[in-house]
Amino acid sequence: MTCRLYEEQLSSYLDQELPAARVARLEAHLKTCQRCREELEAMGGIAGQLRAASSLLEVSHDFDKRVLRAFGYYRVTGWQKPVKSYLRPLVLAAVLLLGMLAAMWNFLTRPYEPAPQPAPAYSVGAPAATGAPAPGVPERERRR
Amino acid sequence: MEEAVRSGSWSADGRLAAADDATLVTACAQHEPGAFQELLSRYRRPAITLAYQMLGNSEDAEDVAQEAFVRVFQAIPRFRGQSAFSTWLYRIVTNLCLANRRRRKVTVGLDSVREPRSSDSPSKTVTQALVTRQVLDAMTPDLRAILLLRDQEGLSYSEIAEALRLPLGTVRSRLSKARMSFRQIWNGLSEGGEEQS
Repeated sequence: MTCRLYEEQLSSYLDQELPAARVARLEAHLKTCQRCREELEAMGGIAGQLRAASSLLEVSHDFDKRVLRAFGYYRVTGWQKPVKSYLRPLVLAAVLLLGMLAAMWNFLTRPYEPAPQPAPAYSVGAPAATGAPAPGVPERERRR
Repeated sequence: MEEAVRSGSWSADGRLAAADDATLVTACAQHEPGAFQELLSRYRRPAITLAYQMLGNSEDAEDVAQEAFVRVFQAIPRFRGQSAFSTWLYRIVTNLCLANRRRRKVTVGLDSVREPRSSDSPSKTVTQALVTRQVLDAMTPDLRAILLLRDQEGLSYSEIAEALRLPLGTVRSRLSKARMSFRQIWNGLSEGGEEQS
């Protein structure tokens, strides 16, 4: 068998995945072939080369946050279960509707405040004892 | 542990870090918030590294890893646990990378490589990282994927077979081919470098 055929077995031998029947023949070849021994050693070093290269990689500090945001989790004041995407417009509409109702309720139930009247051009003393209304007082106030 | 997951009492007392992946997956399926973050912290770097070695670009790698995590988290309620969580995640990352490479031409770069803090000569380490990346980029995507799953992520042959949906015999032969290809390209680049210098 040539070196080329043994080379194809080196990878499985390295991972102890070579069928037992072939192990003895390969090991006998390795004893006599320096080239295959060197190739086996070099293959065993690939993992270290890859890890050394990847150990220099820097990961963005906000990666987790981006993943969780994309997934639908938000971490503002605490964890919240994700809102289904199709529910989001409904939630937004409900919030807007509640806001409008609150504004209407506030408008309808506010206490009456008369509009300020222009000061009379003349000065008056105390209202007459007859109960005549003072000038400038609205009709609604006069009835009280 | 399973009982603690069900009762939701485990995240506060520090047992998340001690939980195995299968338990965390169960917790994720029940929307236990800390479980997602624990899985992320365990597999963030392996997933990004795998994608980076496949694509040669750190921004694309993070995008792909993010997409993979989102897909995994969304599908967790349907995950039956027939394979390990890591195998499942790596399969998705690998498939996304292969699709990404088909869409665009990838250029080699060390855009995100920082100077190492080790006592080794920084320039030598970075140079070797650059050569390793060039070797990977010169390999075919299929060979690169199987080499990274085995020699970088440390998956077993059967896990690789699951991740890439290949027969075990194909994993054995393709991995052998991948390692021989890596060595051949590495030697070619080394000889070229020596000739230039």
